[in-house]
Amino acid sequence: MGLFVLRRFGVMILTALCLTFVVFVLTNLEPNLEKLAKTQGNARMSDEQVQTWLSNRGYDRADFVKYGEWLGVLPGYVIEGADGETRSRCLRPGVDPEAAPRFCGILQGDWGFSTVFKEDVSKIVLTRLSQTGKLMGWVMLVMVPSALIIGVLAGMREGSRLDRSLSTVSIVTTATPEYVSGVIFITVFASSAVGLKWFNGSATSAMEDITFLNFTLPVLTVALYGMGYIARMTRASMTEVMTAQYIRTARLKGVSFRNIVLKHALRNALIAPFTVIMLQFPWLLNGVVIVETLFNFKGFGWTLVQAAGNNDIEMLLGVSVVSVFVVLTTQLISDIGYVFLNPRIRIS
Amino acid sequence: MTQFNSALHPAALMYAEEERAGKLSRREFMTRATALGVTATAAYGLLGLKAPAAAATAAQGGTMRIQQNVVAMKDPRTFDWSYLGNVARGWLEYLVEVNSDGSMRGMLLEGWEANDDASQYTLHVRPGVTWNNGEAFNADNVVWILNYWCDKAVEGNSMAGRMSSLIDAETGKARDRAIVKLDDMTVQLNLPASDITVMVGMADYPAAVVHPSHNPETMVADSLGTGPYRLESLEVGVKAVLVRNEGHTWWGHSAEGIGGAYLDRIEFIDYGTDPAAWMAAIESDEVDMLYENVGEFLDIASAIGWEQSDVTTGATLVFRFNQKTEVDGVAPYADVRVRQALSQAVNNGVVLELGYSGRGTEADNHHVAPVHPEYADIGRPTFDPSGTKALLDEAGMGDYEFELITLDDDFNRNSGDAVAAQIRDAGANIKRTIMPGSTFWNDWDKFPFSATEWNHRPLGVQVLALAYRSGEAWNEAAYSNPEFDTLLAKAMSLADADARREVMAEIETLFRNDAVIIQPFWRKLYRNFRPGVVGAGMHPSFEIHAYKLAFSA
Repeated sequence: MGLFVLRRFGVMILTALCLTFVVFVLTNLEPNLEKLAKTQGNARMSDEQVQTWLSNRGYDRADFVKYGEWLGVLPGYVIEGADGETRSRCLRPGVDPEAAPRFCGILQGDWGFSTVFKEDVSKIVLTRLSQTGKLMGWVMLVMVPSALIIGVLAGMREGSRLDRSLSTVSIVTTATPEYVSGVIFITVFASSAVGLKWFNGSATSAMEDITFLNFTLPVLTVALYGMGYIARMTRASMTEVMTAQYIRTARLKGVSFRNIVLKHALRNALIAPFTVIMLQFPWLLNGVVIVETLFNFKGFGWTLVQAAGNNDIEMLLGVSVVSVFVVLTTQLISDIGYVFLNPRIRIS
Repeated sequence: MTQFNSALHPAALMYAEEERAGKLSRREFMTRATALGVTATAAYGLLGLKAPAAAATAAQGGTMRIQQNVVAMKDPRTFDWSYLGNVARGWLEYLVEVNSDGSMRGMLLEGWEANDDASQYTLHVRPGVTWNNGEAFNADNVVWILNYWCDKAVEGNSMAGRMSSLIDAETGKARDRAIVKLDDMTVQLNLPASDITVMVGMADYPAAVVHPSHNPETMVADSLGTGPYRLESLEVGVKAVLVRNEGHTWWGHSAEGIGGAYLDRIEFIDYGTDPAAWMAAIESDEVDMLYENVGEFLDIASAIGWEQSDVTTGATLVFRFNQKTEVDGVAPYADVRVRQALSQAVNNGVVLELGYSGRGTEADNHHVAPVHPEYADIGRPTFDPSGTKALLDEAGMGDYEFELITLDDDFNRNSGDAVAAQIRDAGANIKRTIMPGSTFWNDWDKFPFSATEWNHRPLGVQVLALAYRSGEAWNEAAYSNPEFDTLLAKAMSLADADARREVMAEIETLFRNDAVIIQPFWRKLYRNFRPGVVGAGMHPSFEIHAYKLAFSA
């Protein structure tokens, strides 16, 4: 078990290395660097000015060297620019040049400096991730129980009227992408156009203070989409279990339907949905991009959009690391959880 | 503002005559007269009017939430967004201020006067102003900031353009003896020729006055300035918060006719560029005023019950050809015949109607607005779509596929569509490309054919000098015509609007014959705010004066 977890961490680090290097190379392509110079310096810079801007800040060196600096295995650059000013990778605004460390990469715990947000990447990632965490938490809280209930109810008696109607509902919600359902929700429940105005169409105030008014619509938008999917998986799993031999035996022995479902079927039926639910975490991390933009909620998805739009290299790398971590950790949990749900499987 | 001249500036009397004769609008009269050092009250007096009374009674205290993009703070002289000025205005103030009615008044300067040919200005520092670190604000600070603005070597310092008559072309710094400290409270500016734009240049948003110890990298943390507020926090793309600077005695409370700084807290909240999100913010009761509102959303905001403030301006959308940009090895717009062919295919009135819902006035492709004092009416531009194809064929570009690139926001996009559709109707091939802000701004000044938004400026010559003079940083049309430059230099030395108008007629004709731009309309600008908000009226340059904002009592 311990070895298994250890190996998984090894894979995680390797994946993170590969992914960040790919992101690094892509963000360091010539046109992307030019974009960076233009957004950071001045939108009206000439080509020569762009070149000096880049070389003053060490962007024109080999990718491996720059990647090594970001990792912290090579010392950060100290460059005396063409304008006579000395710039150093490890120097933050307002810090004494003498006090700056020689190495400043991810190994030293330094995630870099975001060029868009003018803050340490670690700080931005933390604040924004906690915002998205709030959204994800509420989404999970709404999505998972309701999806399981719908799935189990629908799967108990395959083909019944209850099954048909619940299946229709879950197919409709899964087939409606967030950018459609979100807009419909805002129009119907939040604007003067329809006049209901039950909720807020903007979740900006929820960043500081979550209320029923400002958080219902974004949570519902994400939850509904994922709910249908999980419900379908649960239903499929449930119907399969319900036709199994041991359920038939139990029924023949006269066990009540209620007891069959709760005591015999449920645990076996939840194995497949469990994996799907764990898979929802990485999906949510991306899925919230649309909802966060639509409801103007400044979380992780919104940060990703801003960073990508402005070619904020170190921010994007930070985002990648977090994504790798979230994906692989949830998979690890799902694998371990599987063992507890299904004793037939062993982790060796 | 104290009036220092015993006699009024002779030009001011002349302007009053012009205003009476209908040659100057009242707004322009106010700008011109007050720029020469006449007080607003005296200027209204010259027109035989009484100065308007101050706004409705304001309550003390409260938190105002403003919808506005929040961008990263930088050195004020390199500001490239009005947003930056609006946030910085909380703790950094300006020497002079232009108000919505076009009049100017002194802020950190108590007053100023110009000599008869506007080549020498005397600036009087306002007594009693202190920095929030306790130091007194004096003539040394003014001399320092003027030199700071005049440093041409700084990347993106747009103040150097506004102060160009103080700068030595060779050293790229202020000329010797151009800025002279007369005594502790008086500074004299000596210009080589008359320049009527110096004072209005000091009111523009990059002209925020910073302390000599100013460091752009720590300015967010220390909020060192003279204003009544300090910056509590600034999160790019999210929120900026100004709070009352408790330990600091703000000069405005005791200065006559200034007053204000009623609010305890001002929050700028970023809702992106989609007006639908602004409406959601209004409906969700998350903001009290908008930075700007546009198009059909004006009706929505009014329907919700918000008040609307508008101002007629020289703000505009210009479809400019970049004469230098090459596409696949050729510069498609280097040939004047191509530019002329495309511009004569476009009926500006149609673009105004389709692109901006008729919320403005038709423009004439020469970027001098009827609201400018020196505006010369040279008639409407040629509209002859039937001749377009022939002219393009003549230039050898009959089959070329042009591309019009605009930003993806309401009126940029719609106006672009209207322009492209008309060009297509005239028989030319044109492709439409719409880009989101994140990609548009990376290359926008190099796009061969694109739309640029221009803000209002008080004088017509100012935009021409910024945008179309050869080699200027903001000249994304890459227009370069020595004759134009000479004529413009001449116009900029004429204080008399009538004399200048004659030169302007030549400039406008020359400029339009060169078919530099398609300029469909002059915009009216709008802003909405919650009923009961005071001091939030729309400003021609989108300025929000933090100290004027309040909730009515």
